[in-house]
Amino acid sequence: MTAIRLPRQSSRDNQDETISFFWNNKKLKARKGDSISSALLSNKFQIIGRSFKYHRARGVTSAGVEEAGALVTTGKGAYTEPNVRASTTELSEGLFVYSQNAWPSVRFDIGSILNLFGRFFAAGFYYKTFMGKIFTGKIFRGIPPLEWGRGTGIWMFFEKFIRKAAGLGTASRLADPDSYEHLHTHTDILVIGSGPAGIQSAIQAAQTGKEVLLVEQDYAIGGTYLSWPDKSEFKTQISKLNKQNITILTRTTAFGLYDDTTIGLVEFICPEERAQKPLKPRQRFHICRAESVILATGALERNYAFVNNDLPGIMTVSSARTYLNRYQLLVGSNIVISTNNDSAYEAGLELEQAGATVTILESREQIGELLLQQISGRRINLYLGSAVAKANHGVFSPCVKQIVMARKTSDGWRQSGSLSCDCLLVSAGWSPVIHLASHQGCPIEWNKENACFISSGDDKSIFFAGSAAGIWQFEDCIQSAPQVARKTKKAQKQSSIIGGWHTDIEPLYEICVPAIKGKAFIDPQHDVTASDVRLAHQEGFISVEHLKRYTTLGMATDQGKMGNIIGLALMADALNRPISDVGVTRFRPPYTSISLGALAGAHRQSHFKPIRRTPFHNWSLANNGVMIDAGLWHRPWYYPKQGENLQDAYIREATITRRSLGICDVSSLGKIMIQGPDSTIFLNRIYTNPFAKLAVGKARYGIILREDGMVFDDGTTWRLSENSYLMTTTTNHAAAVMARLEELLQTRWPELRVHVTSITDQWAGCAIAGPNSRNLLSEIVDDPSEISNETLPFMGVKQVLLQTIPCYIARISFSGERAFEVYIPSDYSHAMMQFIWNKAQMFESCLYGLEALGTMRIEKGHVTGAEIDGRVTIEDIGLGKMASQNKDFVGSALRNREMLTSPNRPQLVGIFPKDKHKKFSAGALLNEAGKTKGHPLGWITAVTHSPALGHWIALGFIEGGLTAVEDKHIVLSDELRSIFLDVEIVSPHMYDPEGTRLHG
Amino acid sequence: MIQISCPFCGKRDHSEFSYGGDGQINYPSLDASQETWHDAVFLRENIYGRQIETWQHLYGCRSWLLVERDTRTHEIFSVKLAHADWQKMMEENR
Ligand SMILES: [Zn+2]
Repeated sequence: MTAIRLPRQSSRDNQDETISFFWNNKKLKARKGDSISSALLSNKFQIIGRSFKYHRARGVTSAGVEEAGALVTTGKGAYTEPNVRASTTELSEGLFVYSQNAWPSVRFDIGSILNLFGRFFAAGFYYKTFMGKIFTGKIFRGIPPLEWGRGTGIWMFFEKFIRKAAGLGTASRLADPDSYEHLHTHTDILVIGSGPAGIQSAIQAAQTGKEVLLVEQDYAIGGTYLSWPDKSEFKTQISKLNKQNITILTRTTAFGLYDDTTIGLVEFICPEERAQKPLKPRQRFHICRAESVILATGALERNYAFVNNDLPGIMTVSSARTYLNRYQLLVGSNIVISTNNDSAYEAGLELEQAGATVTILESREQIGELLLQQISGRRINLYLGSAVAKANHGVFSPCVKQIVMARKTSDGWRQSGSLSCDCLLVSAGWSPVIHLASHQGCPIEWNKENACFISSGDDKSIFFAGSAAGIWQFEDCIQSAPQVARKTKKAQKQSSIIGGWHTDIEPLYEICVPAIKGKAFIDPQHDVTASDVRLAHQEGFISVEHLKRYTTLGMATDQGKMGNIIGLALMADALNRPISDVGVTRFRPPYTSISLGALAGAHRQSHFKPIRRTPFHNWSLANNGVMIDAGLWHRPWYYPKQGENLQDAYIREATITRRSLGICDVSSLGKIMIQGPDSTIFLNRIYTNPFAKLAVGKARYGIILREDGMVFDDGTTWRLSENSYLMTTTTNHAAAVMARLEELLQTRWPELRVHVTSITDQWAGCAIAGPNSRNLLSEIVDDPSEISNETLPFMGVKQVLLQTIPCYIARISFSGERAFEVYIPSDYSHAMMQFIWNKAQMFESCLYGLEALGTMRIEKGHVTGAEIDGRVTIEDIGLGKMASQNKDFVGSALRNREMLTSPNRPQLVGIFPKDKHKKFSAGALLNEAGKTKGHPLGWITAVTHSPALGHWIALGFIEGGLTAVEDKHIVLSDELRSIFLDVEIVSPHMYDPEGTRLHG
Repeated sequence: MIQISCPFCGKRDHSEFSYGGDGQINYPSLDASQETWHDAVFLRENIYGRQIETWQHLYGCRSWLLVERDTRTHEIFSVKLAHADWQKMMEENR
């Protein structure tokens, strides 16, 4: 096949506008408006790529989204995009286009040697070979995929070689330099597809006063109109369309239909526009909401299975028509058309008119009078009852050169001679594009007369118009539009408007002739052949869902748009059942592949999730703080001095805090105001320990359980007045605790007069810890007598004036030292911190971050999220005494379940290495010596180097707790890091167990 | 991509809401037996069809809602405030 470029028919069509592009780095010329396919064809390139598995030469097979052969890579470097359909991608000035899956070149591909070994690569080859028993020394039999686990080591070994040989394009490993946008688009009626039915539907809908959005995946509006030789009808319709107030988006694919008539649209921005305005996004992802959606999505022409049906030079009939009338490309001069339906004749007549010799192989024994009249007197040979049995390529070219004909006989198809040709066009019927309706689960039925699946939507908000509804003739398609328009107004119930051909189609899925052997493809993108389907049937994979997964039929980038029905038909034939019984696999979004960039939109890198900064953030940065992500928060991690690394810094910070004074940002703790006359009752119900008698000006540590009795969260709650409390939560659970309190108050106990308000962001908090903490406070409060040990004892809370600003000071300690938490209105945080820090210079003092905070809490055995992981009871973390026996609270009933009260449950312990110089990591397992296989006795949750103790220590859980393992030899094993140690299990309160340091 | 009509805020995308759970469970009082609590917390219907469920308008007014939804089609039939008194006030003021 050598395509011939024809002159443009209309002088107004910018005849001379040529653009240049690069094919495998060679500069070529094309016409403006060309697709990559038409540009390559006009430059006489027929072999575009190599196939997935067998490395067979592949050329242009279509002019649309069903393209299975012409996949290319566009762009260079970070702009590389693999597996681009050449047929639907518009050529832009200077575009780089590359062939795929071929080395050293598409014409001479070393991998094509795999083709010679094709019979070894049948369906299930990989499973059988690498997962099956063949490599485990036993006889190969059975159902290999179910033997996962066996031989997988072999697979792992060979995988990298196979992945290299099989496959399509290669994605860039560089970050995507383009930007993408998300939009929320709203409309009354969304019309998808701008062919005759789509345009007419949009006009009709707009005339009723509805807001209409018309989307078209192509870069030009018009659909089928673009493939017509006569444009007058199209121009009339376009002028009618333009008179209406309709929004039109081209280059926009409706890729998925979701609940509530939500449609996912991806809009490509015109390359020319982006060339001028580089800051424009590459694509826009629209979440479109519509009252109704009209699917005028058209139909895709099918081919059928015959030997070598994948040779370059074989394409669908309609695509030849598109290349002729849209791109002025005559795809061959000696053309054979093989068809089973009326649609191919128009194309045949036009191709003959354009100068080609045309031979039509018609699989039906007779055709309508009208068609016969039309072709009489033209250079068109017609063979009735004929089809193609095999295509042959030339001696030096992999392109189609000759076909072997088959003739229908009473015994089936028989070989009947051959024809030479330079192009073979195939039409084995049309498949309406029902994908979007299938996404939403609309019923899909096999329509026998038209040999295709059709759907009639859901009769509520999803409607079909035109050939997407199985309506083939132009006039019928136009007629379908007003009917749909009435239905969208709910004025009319469903009525079937199938408009078929003059003469019925005759199903044609495969031509099999005795003595002709070879590969007949049904999914050329994934190299699935007709015999693969029969093999699957033989091996018992008879459900279509199994067939799909076993053969990978329809799982390539085109999702089997052309081949799926052939596969189903062959399976139906093997089962000796009608296609309607075999059914169809449900289509899933996206209809055509979409980039991850479009889905991510602006939510990338630092915009992936919101960042929460504490009020002290900038102050910490200015004081050399290094930040760490803690959920959404950025929290100070450590404050290195010159030359210090993390470990140096946190050890210094913890040491100075225990020796003298340290200051830490604790603003990220959740803070919830609980107000109202029933606040005390409320707290008494949600906390395990009693809150009824907490005095004003006092704080209490409390634990909240879930209803199932597991620990949910912990924190201190301060009674600020008779009817108001300040609850603090862990940083991690702040939002969940807030939602939980609201749920209890609104759904469970609406009678309680309590109001909860999150004030986390309104108050900054800092911990002032260490023996000198009170001395520092004395320097900063207006009246030092307010904070003496008598006026502010342990767990005391007080509102004080700092520099005339009302702040709260609570005497609570997470570090185990004498310590205070100072809460400051956020607006004053920066100045107040500077003020406090200046005063702290009177003492040996430091700022400490999350790492030192963690070290000190591990030394003290205080639990955090690492221990409260949703699987522990209050007893497991050693706080059983905090569960009141004298009241009922959330979780009190279920926490007493048998397995939750077992003394053998893993309980919180401290862990020392026997050899005090040894280091280890969280996640390591604890076992009895000699029993290191199987289920462990316990595990490590948190590890630190303890400056106070001078060696590495850990918190963890072990079955039965400290008492159960006192006389056992426990070993720690960390298989991943190859660390194996003897350890000593100790009380979790590893430092100052009596708590003398925090009193006084 | 369902939308929920919050009685306070109007029709909003479901991404503003967080799902709670079955809205028809009669939670026992805190002093009820372990068995009663066990049944309420663990024995749940997996409803195929219409169910009333709780949602919170998390990124809106933070109301807990009772939403009647078809689990097969995601069609929503009614949305009420879970707090019975508030719902009554809404209805009276309508
Ligand atoms: Zn709301």
